[in-house]
Amino acid sequence: MSRFCFLLLFLCYSTGIFALAPAEDTTTLDLAALPASTDMRFYIYTLEEKDRQPYDPSQVPQQSFTANPRLFHQGKQNNQRAHAFWLKLSVRNTGTMDSSLTFFTGWHDYMYWYAAKPGGPLTLVSKAGLMLDKGDVDRWENYGFPVQVPAGQTRVFYLHIINKSYNENTLMPVLYNALQFERFRNQQMTTYRAEAVVIQVLLGMLMVLLSIAIINYIQLPDRSYLYFAAYILGLILFFALRLESKPYQLSVFHNWPMLKYYWDIPALLFCFYLMYLLFGNAFLNLKERYPYMEGIFTIAAACTGGIIIVCMYCIAIERYHLPRIIYSYVYLATLLPLLLIFVALAKRSRHHPLVRFFLLGSVCFYAACLGAFLMQIRPLGLTSALGELSAPSMLMITGVLLQAMFFLAGLSYRNKLAHHERTKTQEMLIKQLNKNKELQRKLNEQLEELVKEQTSEILRKKQELEEQRQIQLDIEYDKKLTEIELKAIRAQINPHFIFNCLNSIQLFVMQRDYEYAQKYLSDFSYLIRKTLDFSRRNFISLADEITYLNTYLGLEKMRFEHKMEYDIRLDPAIATAELEIPAMLLQPYVENAVKYGMTNPNQPIGRLTIHFRQLPGDMLECIIEDNGIGINRSKELRTLPKHHQSSGMEISFNRAELLNKMYNSGIHIEVIDKSSRNFAESGTIVRILIPQL
Amino acid sequence: MIKAIIIDDERNSRDIIALMLGKYCPQIQIVDTASDCNDGISKIKQHHPQLVFLDLEMPDGTGFDVIQGTQGEAFEAVFVTAFEKKFLHTIRFSEVEIILKPIDKESLLQAVQTVSRRILAEASKHRYKVLLDNFNNGKHTSWNLLLPLINGSETTIPTNAIEYLESATDKCTFYLEDGAVLQADRSFRHYADLFIPLRFYQVNNTQMVQLSHIHRVLQDSQHILLNSGVQLEITERRKKDLLSFYK
Repeated sequence: MSRFCFLLLFLCYSTGIFALAPAEDTTTLDLAALPASTDMRFYIYTLEEKDRQPYDPSQVPQQSFTANPRLFHQGKQNNQRAHAFWLKLSVRNTGTMDSSLTFFTGWHDYMYWYAAKPGGPLTLVSKAGLMLDKGDVDRWENYGFPVQVPAGQTRVFYLHIINKSYNENTLMPVLYNALQFERFRNQQMTTYRAEAVVIQVLLGMLMVLLSIAIINYIQLPDRSYLYFAAYILGLILFFALRLESKPYQLSVFHNWPMLKYYWDIPALLFCFYLMYLLFGNAFLNLKERYPYMEGIFTIAAACTGGIIIVCMYCIAIERYHLPRIIYSYVYLATLLPLLLIFVALAKRSRHHPLVRFFLLGSVCFYAACLGAFLMQIRPLGLTSALGELSAPSMLMITGVLLQAMFFLAGLSYRNKLAHHERTKTQEMLIKQLNKNKELQRKLNEQLEELVKEQTSEILRKKQELEEQRQIQLDIEYDKKLTEIELKAIRAQINPHFIFNCLNSIQLFVMQRDYEYAQKYLSDFSYLIRKTLDFSRRNFISLADEITYLNTYLGLEKMRFEHKMEYDIRLDPAIATAELEIPAMLLQPYVENAVKYGMTNPNQPIGRLTIHFRQLPGDMLECIIEDNGIGINRSKELRTLPKHHQSSGMEISFNRAELLNKMYNSGIHIEVIDKSSRNFAESGTIVRILIPQL
Repeated sequence: MIKAIIIDDERNSRDIIALMLGKYCPQIQIVDTASDCNDGISKIKQHHPQLVFLDLEMPDGTGFDVIQGTQGEAFEAVFVTAFEKKFLHTIRFSEVEIILKPIDKESLLQAVQTVSRRILAEASKHRYKVLLDNFNNGKHTSWNLLLPLINGSETTIPTNAIEYLESATDKCTFYLEDGAVLQADRSFRHYADLFIPLRFYQVNNTQMVQLSHIHRVLQDSQHILLNSGVQLEITERRKKDLLSFYK
């Protein structure tokens, strides 16, 4: 609104033009008819504040001002010092109207505008300044100072300018009427808006990059992402603050106008050196790949950190120019080493894509910086250009963007590599796992083999043991058999029988019945011989057994004369010569039958029958039957203590069992008392079943 | 003349005894024979013989049954058997005469001589009581032993009272657990053979100990200590043998 009013005012009053006049104490202007713009260089007297002591405004009119048009300059100029001076402008309105004009000298750090009537005291009309004004976008209007001179009167204006920064912005005093100033203002605004747009676009892009970096870091915690994010953040701050110095633009930092002195150089150092180095270190994994270079990077980063601190200190003591100088030196000093480092890196890891990304980014930025610097030398001169090293030109912005993008691409590639590696590791792991499995399988097989071997070994041993046990058992059996044999001999050659036989023979001899004695003696010898023979064998033929039994029974019959009879019946189907039966098995039963067969008082003659029969299933049945008192009664009758001596029958029974065990022969012996079947009958039946093997 | 009866289940046996007695011992008159126990008992009761020749095993019993059945009769018995082992201790411990078949002249003569002397002396029939006791005593943890002493008298002791016996030339000395010492008119060898199966052990050539009376075997010397405190010598070989007995 105020601008609009100003414009109206300008339309109303700006009718005259300045007439150029020679330099004199007072500028005479027809303020009603001013030219479009009036270069005031030759109308202005200046006073430099040489020493550090600033003048008090009240003293200033007494000072002698001199005309010094060289003080003014178009574009930036490095003064090599802080610059504080006064401008004095005397204006006399020769027109008929009071006029209001605008005096503009450029964008400076501190500007104070005083007005005074001739000879009168100074009054501060307004103030402005890059370092002073905290206002928002309106503040940019304050740089045009009002020159209000009533018609026909003279006024003296003083402008106190202090530039703390060595690089002084354009200093060119111009007087505008309202319309002209408006035009000038619009032109300036347009110019800076274009620059601001570029910076804002850059900021937007940097924000995106930062987001990507942060997101990636969250996904994959890699330190290089952090460094990259810090680098981008630094750039964002750097450029955001850059916006602050663009006239007619507004940045978020306008409340802290002093910030531009803190941020500039340290930010550059931070971004382009410290973070760059740290990032390179982490990104290229120099610690493993190139330890020597890692040392250099670390040391350089530490030095940069130190320099940043020094710069901060300089800023704190308001020596704003020092960081700039330091930065200039740092920049110039690092130009060649950086190049060398690039070459070394390129050589060292020629084919590594990561290095390629890093180098491409670095070289882009390096070249852009150098280009921007060189391009600034031409218009500004070397010293001014050095002062403007930190100023972002389009070229440099492009470099920054390229670098950031290359780095980000590199990071992505790094991610990919990491992913690859992970995949590869996983594959390897899987492979290893498979291998392990295979190994385990093999091991298992071997183990199985071993177990099998050992098992078979154990089995073999077991078998051996079994065999040995069998042998042992056989021996045991043999031993037992031998014992039983002996017992059998003892039992079968019943001493009673033998000695009674001998007694009989003795009788025949004494009775001189030699023939009888002879027969008796030969039968007896045969029996003894066969007994000794058979008791040593396990099996004999049935024919032998029958002959033996016949002989035995014959002798017994001779002893007992007519008190006994015997009968051996044989199934004609039986092949007696081939059929084998256990030796000496039947004899004890026969002997028993003889012994008890003659004790039956109801039967004067003991009748003994031996019957051999062939049963189905290759079974030989032998039945020994007598008509005695029966086994039960004879047991009752036995007055002898039972333990006294085992009977022949028992021995036979044991023998059969032993044979069964040894040959699985399955001999079965059954002793039946006839009276248990039929009360009228008496006697014993022994049934022996001998399977044919 | 001595009246005698022969009891045997085999005719051949009876015949040969009769034949040999007729030939070598004319002073013995066979009054009758019997072929089994019951027959024998009735024949004895009928004839009251002074001497009976007895078979041990017969179809209806043993010779002991005959003696048991004729306890009122005063006769001396001579056992005639083909095999004495079954009744070895029963007969030998009671000092009753026995002849083994086939009968030889000398043993027959000696047996007849011994019993003839007893018949003439009207000796005690105590031996038959001992005989029957031993026969009827089924368990035989201890036997009764009739000892003919050197002074001509006889005494009966239980075998488990014997601590040890000792050879004394052709006699044998018995040491009992109560300290008594008896001199038997039999050889040491005669008793040694009989006692071996009865848990006696011959510790040296002249002494035989009942195992239950040994207190302990001394480790460091060749002696054994008896319950009564007597020490007997033992040979090295027999000591080992004896110790293995206890394992």
